[in-house]
Amino acid sequence: MSSPLLEKIITESGQPVNLCYQCRKCSAGCPMVDEFDFPPNMVMRMIQLGLEGELLRSRAIWMCVSCETCGTRCPNQIRIAPVMDVLRAECLKQGIEPADPTTVALHTSFIESIRQFGRVHEATMLLKYKFKSKKFTDDLDVGLKLFLKGKIPIMPKKSRNLSKIKEIFTKAGF
Amino acid sequence: MRYSYFPGCTLYTKAKKLDDAGRECSLKLGFELDELPDWTCCGATFPLVNDQHMLMSGPTRILADTKDRGDDKLVALCSVCYNVLKRTNHVMLNDEERRAKITDFIERDYHGEVEVLHYLQVLRDEIGFDALKEKVVKPLEGLKVACYYGCLLLRPVKEIGLDRMENPTIFEDFIRALGAEPVDFPFKIECCGAFQTVNSMATATRCSREILSNAVQNGADLVITTCPLCQFNLDDRQPEILKEDPAFTTIPVFYFTQLLAVALGLDSGNLGFERNFINPLELLQEKGLV
Repeated sequence: MSSPLLEKIITESGQPVNLCYQCRKCSAGCPMVDEFDFPPNMVMRMIQLGLEGELLRSRAIWMCVSCETCGTRCPNQIRIAPVMDVLRAECLKQGIEPADPTTVALHTSFIESIRQFGRVHEATMLLKYKFKSKKFTDDLDVGLKLFLKGKIPIMPKKSRNLSKIKEIFTKAGF
Repeated sequence: MRYSYFPGCTLYTKAKKLDDAGRECSLKLGFELDELPDWTCCGATFPLVNDQHMLMSGPTRILADTKDRGDDKLVALCSVCYNVLKRTNHVMLNDEERRAKITDFIERDYHGEVEVLHYLQVLRDEIGFDALKEKVVKPLEGLKVACYYGCLLLRPVKEIGLDRMENPTIFEDFIRALGAEPVDFPFKIECCGAFQTVNSMATATRCSREILSNAVQNGADLVITTCPLCQFNLDDRQPEILKEDPAFTTIPVFYFTQLLAVALGLDSGNLGFERNFINPLELLQEKGLV
């Protein structure tokens, strides 16, 4: 069995996706499978069949949280989390609209917080996320309670090594 | 004994009590956590694609800083930081090609010389649970504890190697040393929904509900964790669970260092239990522990 997508995934993730024989142990233990449009075992099969467009437009690749449960249990030692990472990167590279843009908004806000402060500052990070995802009202009550309990300081604390972090971002072309 | 210590971003904000209690207990137990100066974020995610090196440059800098101050061990308390630092070190130790790229990128000389330890590992392997037991001044008798590991403390097992994947026991052994009773808790390694709690609250609420219900069904009085994100999902999502199911039995969820502090007789007024959504103080008072 071979497809250009299969070869690409094997090279970039280092995972022997070709070995999947559909035992479905991954999907049985996946905590996120209810949110997936294609369960993990089907994602493996779709890669083998080269169904690239369907995969890159799927919700499954964005809902995976890399908990590594499937990878630890797979009888063929395929870790699916790195495979999902390759698929996510490929979706963005090809300019395909992600099926779940809010996950992308969250990741971007997180990285931007590191670039800005050298450390993550939850309040400004989540504010950015709200603007990017336009989910303004979600979790407002929880955020307020956290703030009142002193769990979210308003002022960010910068790392004194911030210049080194900025250097890494610049070098990486971000 | 002195160790370099990496607290991480969240331990300065939301999970301050995980950090505070961890530091105070270390002094009681006779080891010093010497915070790395000017540390930066670990990245909070280990990059899984083979050619992503940028995300590993941050944690590698942290490891190189530890080495440059003359230390060979770095302790982390947060499961996420521990996971990222440990796995990055695994790459730096074993993957010549990626190591060359990263060290070239950040212009530092580092070959995986530092050993990354979780605080629990220090207690188990360096102090020893028997010695810990002797330092307990207030044994947590009659307290039934659900030990929640989550994902990042354990997986992937080949790179982390802290304990067994399906039935780890380090947390239960720790709890026994404090005099409490760990309950049978099959959901202890299930995922809490992680960062999807931000995008898809319903998902994290469902995951948390399954985990907590399992703890309650098995007779637990409380749940302990090492991870700030798990603590958030398991504790702060309980009001949401109650909205869906008014019959749901709430249960306190807090950090293992807070429980350690109680057993070591530290001032419970200072442990920040009032910051929890489900406040465990009443339970601890009932058991005569605070």
